[in-house]
Amino acid sequence: MPNEASLAGPREGADVAASAAVAAARGRTKIAVKGLDFYYRGYHALKNVNLEVPERQITAIIGPSGCGKSTLLRIFNRIYSVYAGLEATGEVLLDGENILDPQYSLNRLRTRVGMVFQKAVPFPLSIFENVAFGLRHHIKLSRGQLEDRVEKALREAALWDEVKDKLHTSGLGLSGGQQQRLCIARAVALRPQVLLLDEPTSALDPIATGRIEQLLSDLQGEYTIVIVTHNMQQAARVSTYTAYMYLGEMVEFGATAELFTRPQRRQTEDYITGRFG
Amino acid sequence: MQSARGLIFRRRASNLVSKILGTAATLFGLSWLVWILIVTLLNGAQALSLHFFTDATPPPGAEGGGLANALVGSALMSALGVLIGAPLGIAAGTYLAEFAERRPVWRETIRFVNDILLSAPSIVLGLFVYTIYVRQVGHFSGLAGGIALALIVLPVVVRTTDETLRLVPNMMREAALSLGIPRWKVTVQVLYRAALPGILTGVLLGLARITGETAPLLFTALNNQFWSRDINGPTASVPVVIFQFAMSPYDNWHSLAWAGAFVVTMVVLVLSVGARAYLLKNRMDSNA
Repeated sequence: MPNEASLAGPREGADVAASAAVAAARGRTKIAVKGLDFYYRGYHALKNVNLEVPERQITAIIGPSGCGKSTLLRIFNRIYSVYAGLEATGEVLLDGENILDPQYSLNRLRTRVGMVFQKAVPFPLSIFENVAFGLRHHIKLSRGQLEDRVEKALREAALWDEVKDKLHTSGLGLSGGQQQRLCIARAVALRPQVLLLDEPTSALDPIATGRIEQLLSDLQGEYTIVIVTHNMQQAARVSTYTAYMYLGEMVEFGATAELFTRPQRRQTEDYITGRFG
Repeated sequence: MQSARGLIFRRRASNLVSKILGTAATLFGLSWLVWILIVTLLNGAQALSLHFFTDATPPPGAEGGGLANALVGSALMSALGVLIGAPLGIAAGTYLAEFAERRPVWRETIRFVNDILLSAPSIVLGLFVYTIYVRQVGHFSGLAGGIALALIVLPVVVRTTDETLRLVPNMMREAALSLGIPRWKVTVQVLYRAALPGILTGVLLGLARITGETAPLLFTALNNQFWSRDINGPTASVPVVIFQFAMSPYDNWHSLAWAGAFVVTMVVLVLSVGARAYLLKNRMDSNA
C-alpha cells in the first residue's frame, strides 16, 4: 500500500508500515497533524508532531505532566492564539484544510471543534442560557427551535432529566459532575464535528467520572473525540486509539488495546507499566 | 524536655494572649469611629430634625433652617461624578484586564499612572478642574464640581474593574471563546456578569469616597446659600457647608455643621459597609 505510506509522512520504515496498517484499519482521518512545532515564548514545546485522528472515534492523548498533550489539544481549535508569544508551525488538517492558515476563520473552526476544560466553568447564567449562549450567537432560531436545541444538547450530555425542572436557575448551583456535563452540553449544542476534552474529570469524584466516561462512549458515534488525560486507566477504558507523548514528541500512536498490551517503543512500555512517569 | 501538660498550658496561654491583643486592637480602632459618631450626634442633635432635611441653609444669626440645598447639591454632584467617572473607569479597567495583553509595557504604565491618580491629593484635582474648566467658562458650577469628583471616582473604578476581571478564571474566557464568540461579546455577556459584584462594589466605594470630599469642590462648585436648580451655577454641598459653618461665629450654624457631619459620616459608613457586605455575600454565594 504505497499510497498509505506516503500519507503517513516522513518516519522510519518500520513505523511507516505500522502506522499505515493502523490507518487502514481505523478508516477516515478527521484531523491530520503534520510536522507540527509549537513555541511558547521561545521554548520549543512540541517537536515535529505527526498524528492522524480517526473520525468518530475516541482518541486519548496520554503522557507525563508537561509533555505537551494539552498544548497539542489547544492547537486543534487555536485557543492558544488568545495569548501573546505562542506560535505553531506545520500543518493541522481538519478534513484536509489547514486550520493554522490565518485564512481559516476562527468562527468556522470553533463551531466545528468544541472544547471542554479541566475545570467545569459554567457561565454565570441560567442552565438554559449556558447551553443557548453559543447558539444565540451563531444561528438565528425561533424560541421554540432554540428550546429544542437546548433540550437535545442537554439530553446528549445526559443531564436533561436532572435539570429539566430548573432550567432557569443558575448553572453555578449544580454539582461538579453536573457542571461538567453542562459544559459538554454547551459544547455539543453547536453540533461540532470534533469534541476536545482537556482532562475533563480530573476535578471529579469516581462516580461523576464514571458518568462522564459513559457519556463519552455514547457520543463517539456522533463526534470525533480527542481526550487528554493523565489517567492511564481512563485512557484504556474510554478510548479506541491512544497517543503517548513525552517531552513534546509523539512517541507512539496506535489502537488502545495494542498500545497498552504490546507497545512498540520501550519508552511507552516504561510509562504504562509505571516504571517511569 | 517539656511535659505534655506544660506544652498545652503554654499554647493555651499564648492563644489567650493573642486573642486579647487582637480584640483590643480591633476595639481601639473601632472606638474612634464610635466616638466620632457620638460627638457629632450629640453636638448636632439640636439641629437634627425634619427641618434639617427640608429647609435651606439659614442666613447668619437666624434660628432654625437646614441643609436641604446642600444635601441636594451633594447628591447631584456625587451622581454626576459617578455618572462620568464610572463608565470611563469600567471601560479603562476592561481595557487593562482584557485587551492590553499584547502591550505589557503600555499596560503596566497605565496601571502605574492610575495608581498615582488614586493617591493624588483631592485638592490638586480641584485646582486642575479649576484651571482647565472653571477658568475657561469664567464661573463656578455644580458641573465643574461633578467633573472634579469624577476624577476621584475614575481611578477607584479603573482599579477595581481591572482587579475583579483578572480574578475571573481564564478557563471561563477560553470556554466562551472556544464557542466561537468574539472577544468583546465574551467580555460584555460573560465576564461582566462574573465580575459584576466586584465592579459594583468599586463604584459604591468611589461614591463613598466622594460623598465627604470638600477640597475638590472649593475651587469648582464653590457654595450657594440658596436653593438652586442650576447645575451650571455655584452649587452647595454638605462638606463645604460644614466647613463654612464650622468656621462661623454662630451657634445655630455650628449645630447644623455638626448635624451635617453626622449625616455625611453615616452615609459614607452605610455605603462602604453596604458595598463590602454585598461583595462578601456574592463571594460566599458563588463558593457555595
